[in-house]
Amino acid sequence: MQILIQQLVNSLSVASVTILIGIGITLIFGLAGIVNFAHGEFLMIGGMATWFLVTSGWNFFAALAAAMVLVGVLGFVVERGLFRFTLDRPMNGFIMSIGLSVILQHVVIRVFNEVQKTIPDPVGGVWVIGGVDVIAMRAVVVGLTAVVVAVTYFGISRSRYGMALRASIADPDTAALMGIPVRRYVTGVFVYGSVLAGLGGALMIALFPITPFTGSVVIIRGFAVSLIGGLGNVGGAVLGGLILGLVDGLSAEYGFPEWTDAYSLVVMIVILIVRPQGLLGGTLGPRAT
Amino acid sequence: MKNLKLGAALTASAFLALSTRVVLAEDQELKVGVVAAESGSFVSAGNTIVAAAKLAAKQINDAGGIKVGGTTYTVKLYIRDNRTDVNVTIAAARELVDDVGVKAIWGTETHDFSVSMAKITGPAKVLQFSGNSSLGAVLDDKAVAPAGWLHYTFQTEPQEWQRSGSTAKGVLTLLTPLLPQAPKHSVVFVGNDATGQYLSSHYVKALEAEGQQVDLVKYPPDTTDFSPLLTRIKGMNPDVVHFWYNGDSTLTAFPQALKLAVAPAYFLFGVDPGIYAERHLKSDKPVTLSCVPVCWGASPYPAVQDYFRNYFELGAAKGPQSSVSLLYYDYFFMYAKALEEVGSLDNPDAVVDAMLKMKYQGVVSPVPLTFNPHHQVTFATEVCLVQPGTSDQFKTAVEQPPAAPPAGDPGG
Repeated sequence: MQILIQQLVNSLSVASVTILIGIGITLIFGLAGIVNFAHGEFLMIGGMATWFLVTSGWNFFAALAAAMVLVGVLGFVVERGLFRFTLDRPMNGFIMSIGLSVILQHVVIRVFNEVQKTIPDPVGGVWVIGGVDVIAMRAVVVGLTAVVVAVTYFGISRSRYGMALRASIADPDTAALMGIPVRRYVTGVFVYGSVLAGLGGALMIALFPITPFTGSVVIIRGFAVSLIGGLGNVGGAVLGGLILGLVDGLSAEYGFPEWTDAYSLVVMIVILIVRPQGLLGGTLGPRAT
Repeated sequence: MKNLKLGAALTASAFLALSTRVVLAEDQELKVGVVAAESGSFVSAGNTIVAAAKLAAKQINDAGGIKVGGTTYTVKLYIRDNRTDVNVTIAAARELVDDVGVKAIWGTETHDFSVSMAKITGPAKVLQFSGNSSLGAVLDDKAVAPAGWLHYTFQTEPQEWQRSGSTAKGVLTLLTPLLPQAPKHSVVFVGNDATGQYLSSHYVKALEAEGQQVDLVKYPPDTTDFSPLLTRIKGMNPDVVHFWYNGDSTLTAFPQALKLAVAPAYFLFGVDPGIYAERHLKSDKPVTLSCVPVCWGASPYPAVQDYFRNYFELGAAKGPQSSVSLLYYDYFFMYAKALEEVGSLDNPDAVVDAMLKMKYQGVVSPVPLTFNPHHQVTFATEVCLVQPGTSDQFKTAVEQPPAAPPAGDPGG
């Protein structure tokens, strides 16, 4: 029983980082209509920036904030400089983002090097509760993820801006006629998703070492989470992340351990066959022309 | 008109003289290829090959080059990035052999890439030096015979049963005095890829030969969050968890294992003491490390310490696999010595024979290096114990390989 509870705690922690990645992707993919395969590299750059600042003497939480700003600026530049020109042709944007991901990896290798980077645990400590180990930094990650989920959810579903954003997705032409700056909203969503990638990278390096290739590993799970939950649906990304976390934890304990990744992807495939719009429904993603 | 003719003649003479100089300079270069990942996911290992090659070439050239048949040659490296792609590896080898005309190639990181390259180097009679223990699976009597497809290929890492045997013995010898009772139950935690499967199949047998009951737990390559799998291992109540392959994954998983208190003792394969200290890792439980092939940061041998000082001074990055570079370094000097003995760059069969007869005192081993008839090298393994509660205090044991594979291990 103790092991089962430990695996459930692990699942929550595994889910948190995945949810952060998934929310960024679901917003950019589902709402802005951009398939950004370099989103994982944005996360990696957030982690690398955090590493650089912490090893230069910065406090971890100050470095985390700086990484969010840096990746947000990167998102702004990339959206304005590249993706803006592919909004009508999402497939072009998708292929371009694959190229961008490779370029960003090699820029990081050139600027730093290929070697794995890590920082000391910023919080430290393990709480043992009823024989179950709760790692303090993981608890911080779960807490921050919950805050991000709440802010994003209410921002999209309750605020004026969220309403305008949803109107822009539902009918961009009418929204534009109503005076909503649709293009600017697309940029805003892209930058916000990028900021979340920066946050995810900073939190990730607080938990695990990262390399210039970390992004290409996490991006698959990010897309899986956003598709399972429903594109553009923040609640769906949370649900998708929790499902994948749970599958990881339980399959590691009771299944073939080497198949852990495969179990998660089988779940994704089954869900997409049974409910193509995702568990909670969402947008249809980028519009093809 | 006369001046014009004179000018033309002078220009032609100067051009001819310059061309001759260029030809002479080219003739006095020993062209050596290096095929390694300078980009892509194997870059961490690939860069160590390039760095070792650059250091060896620099040292040979600084010492005046190689004297072959009365001519002095400098080593000219032709480095090709294989981009962690077997197709690029094949293309690079083809270009180096056919267009550049290299006499030997160093690389690459993995079994599959090295085997693919050997199919190009072999027919062209170009020597190939590859640090993959898994080549043992193909280096047999027929393959290395004069007409065999691996006649010109040399495996610069010991056979896996040798490395596994000496490692298992060293780890248990160092850990046992620090545990309340002799360890009996080991869990080997390994990445589920071709190399991990090959390496762990030998290591499990080696541990069983040392009296261990062994459970093998494989993880998907590229795993980042190991906590669910480590929790499963904790439930098995192991005496020792052996993180077997690879260094980057081990350095990701090990701190998570410490926080979850998975086992009373650990072994980290492919993690240098140097990187353990750089990362400020610390454990109150006994931890052992082994290196591929010797320990950067804790080796007792001055030659190894000098090597790593020179290696890092040349700009190489400090990574978990820095010591992998020593699977490639010594063999430049062995090859140079073989060429000097043969007296020609153009007799690769004689160079192979000279390599097989040679005893060379290298950095990687305190006893002279030799190749066996299957073109495989043999040397001891260094295993280090991290003093509990410290990051940079190590006790090193040098374990000789066993005389024969353990029961159930087919060798290779």
